[in-house]
Amino acid sequence: MYKIILSFRYLLKRRISYLAFLAVALCVFIVVVVMTVITGLVRDFKVNNHKWVGDCIVGTESLVGFAYYEDFIKRIEKSDFIEGISSVVKSYALVRGRDSEEGIGIEIMGIEPVKHSGVTGFGETLYHRKNDVSKAFVPAHDPNLVGCVVGIDRWLVRDAKGRYSYEVSPVEAALLVSCFPLTSKGALAKAGAGLVNTKTFYYSDTSHSGLARVDSSFVYLPLEEAQLLCGMGGSVKRISAIHIKFKPNVKLEDGCDKVAALWKKFIEEKKGEKQAELLDTVTVQSWKEYRRPFIAAMEKEQTMLTIMFALVGVTTVFIVLVVFYMIVSHKSKDVGILKSIGVSKVNIIELFSCFAFLTGLLGCVVGVFAGWLFLLKINQAEDFLFEHFGFQLWDRTMYAIGDIPSAIDLKVLGVIIVSAMAACLAGAFLPSWQAAKLEAVEALQVSQL
Amino acid sequence: MFLWLRYLHKKKIVFLSIAAVALSVALLIVVASLFGGFIDVFEQSAVKAIGDVVLGPPVKFSKYEELIERLERMNVVEEATATLSAQGLLHLGKGNVRGVEIWGVSNLDTRFSKPERVSGNEYPVSKGKHPVYGFVGIGVVAEPDEETDEYDFDAVKKLIGEQAVLTMGAVMKAQEEGKAAVRRRTVKFAIADVVFTGVYYLDKELVYLPIEELQKVLYPNGSEGVAGQIQIRLRADAETDVALAQIRGVWEAFATEHLRWEPYLIRGTVIATAKQMQSKYVAEFRKQMGVLLLIFGVVSLSAVLLIFCIFYMIVETRQKDIAIIKSCGATNSSAASIFVGFGVCVGLIGSGTGMILGDIVTKNINTIEEWIRVIFGLKLWKSSVYMFSKIPNEVDWESALLIALSAVVASAVGALIPAIIAARTRPVNILSYE
Repeated sequence: MYKIILSFRYLLKRRISYLAFLAVALCVFIVVVVMTVITGLVRDFKVNNHKWVGDCIVGTESLVGFAYYEDFIKRIEKSDFIEGISSVVKSYALVRGRDSEEGIGIEIMGIEPVKHSGVTGFGETLYHRKNDVSKAFVPAHDPNLVGCVVGIDRWLVRDAKGRYSYEVSPVEAALLVSCFPLTSKGALAKAGAGLVNTKTFYYSDTSHSGLARVDSSFVYLPLEEAQLLCGMGGSVKRISAIHIKFKPNVKLEDGCDKVAALWKKFIEEKKGEKQAELLDTVTVQSWKEYRRPFIAAMEKEQTMLTIMFALVGVTTVFIVLVVFYMIVSHKSKDVGILKSIGVSKVNIIELFSCFAFLTGLLGCVVGVFAGWLFLLKINQAEDFLFEHFGFQLWDRTMYAIGDIPSAIDLKVLGVIIVSAMAACLAGAFLPSWQAAKLEAVEALQVSQL
Repeated sequence: MFLWLRYLHKKKIVFLSIAAVALSVALLIVVASLFGGFIDVFEQSAVKAIGDVVLGPPVKFSKYEELIERLERMNVVEEATATLSAQGLLHLGKGNVRGVEIWGVSNLDTRFSKPERVSGNEYPVSKGKHPVYGFVGIGVVAEPDEETDEYDFDAVKKLIGEQAVLTMGAVMKAQEEGKAAVRRRTVKFAIADVVFTGVYYLDKELVYLPIEELQKVLYPNGSEGVAGQIQIRLRADAETDVALAQIRGVWEAFATEHLRWEPYLIRGTVIATAKQMQSKYVAEFRKQMGVLLLIFGVVSLSAVLLIFCIFYMIVETRQKDIAIIKSCGATNSSAASIFVGFGVCVGLIGSGTGMILGDIVTKNINTIEEWIRVIFGLKLWKSSVYMFSKIPNEVDWESALLIALSAVVASAVGALIPAIIAARTRPVNILSYE
């Protein structure tokens, strides 16, 4: 009991200990704010990537694609762990307006909108056809035409607050999409004719996936049209990838392992058949593996920031050490008295550790509260700064970031609090040890008093 | 001074404040140098890729040789070259097809320095059996190693001399209908060299052909060659604003006389420095750097708290010293100046140490990053993410001095309150016999 009483007494009576808790609070505040924002950005990025890919992808990087996908789909459709399957064609194309002579290189993605929305978040990314995904490729002005969905950053401009100026209904615009069809051997099809496969598509909607790279470079087309454009629509049809969604109770790794096993068996069965060699280029990956190059980059930045904060946090350990050193120097009389009545070294260490714990706890409470308050108002604060001083944390016309993430991640918060408490205990250890070593007979000498 | 040295010698705890100042200064210097270096390299890479000034009309234009001649006669211009760009597919072999950007340039043979060319050749390539030759970015034909982020140059060298096929869409008007249609145009070329500029986008996306070849492909019916833009390198002593004004004058005269363009087209021509074209991004990067430095600066304020604590402790334990000095006739300000001066001294030593530490870390950042990869298997810097192959490792001394100066001031501020307490010490109370 005396440990708690003395700890509180030291904390309240020794004003110098306020400095220790102030330092802890400052560090906790900064780390909570920065890590919440960074973690939020990484989390949003991951969620958007997951939504864009689905759970698992069976695909090839080769623009030639692979055949017999329908057979494989039929087989896995029967599996009890699969919720949705979507076939996808990916390739490069030149796109130009009807009156333009300049072609722009873009990536095209051929999909069946309903199936793809059942696997990915494609339906949610639409604006005009969000509630009727089956009509994603149906232009509003003429349902008989073939439509295309354009990555939003290719079509609309973000304003300074990161908002897009959506049209009331999709404008009438024709896009001429030209692809260079490839044979199953990878050579250019129609080599002698000098022709490209060109088809006119009519703008039907925009897709806002929240992934800057995707939204600025992709145009979505109906699957069959994309197959024809890319030379994948012959007697043996080809695609680039199969996107799969697992049932909610299926673990990602388990689901991917099962699909990989089924794929392996499927390849074995198809060996010797026409175009079967294309199946060897196909890999089975989870969405995390598939988007790893992009996700890992953001995670690394998070790691680097954490390391830098850990380095700066060392100063807080120093402060706690100095403050405790001072308190121990001033309270040698207390220590002497305690030891003279039989308190052990361990108990003295526990006393000062309890004091350090209280200091850390108070610092954490204040730091977390201030951080929470700051995060609560961070977007309003940014709006205010932008309106009055033209300052934005991120220029929304350049970055695909909406609001600044402000939801505190409890796991991250837990790590920050534990680290801060550990820093306090580490800082207090040496002075506590020094206090524990004090002999009552020395501490209570008249000359020391 | 005697007391400073004595406190430094006797009070080992002061070294903690020096260490804290040094750590904060080093960290801020490293962050400022790396971020600042990144921005500089970003700006320089644009200059290297497109020249000092770019002249870009809204539509493609002919008779560019005459314009280049006029520009090169100017005192401010070192060299001017015409470029034409297009997008297409590069076919490197069975099933190996990728989307690329094609730059037709008029100075292909001399455009890249020896270290930038994987072959190591300095001068024009032998055309060999292929009448058309071109350069490709290293990222177009190879992928960097997943772990080391380095290219296999030996494997890449083997591609030199190999044939590749570029497929582009040329918009041509069909004679019978007068409607524009895309016709596939292919050009076979020998890979005369592979270019490694260290700038990810350029290395990953670009294929370079002689401008004449690209003109033949894209405009087969055109009697005159056309260019999309003119890239201009200024003389070292040229003043940018003056040069821009002079170039605009030459362009207006040329476009009026030779192209007979309408004024709106002439005025719509962008004539800007590469740095101006990047200014929006650079401003954003600088803002991000400022925010990061502010965050670390605020966290570093705890070093001020630390100095305050330590000095407060010294003042408390050395009250007798202060009292004796004051009893010898020292004024309050003299007593205070001892501790403020000591704070400055701590700041100077800490800043000096921090600057040395920051310098060492920054200059060896690539080695440190490599060691982190070897020991922890964590590749922190990838060209595909940060645009450049190497981490910029030049210390930004301007920022470093500013940071060091701020640290000295902060140290003095940290020592201020203890100094005031020292100044208010009354010798009569401290030195009384009881």
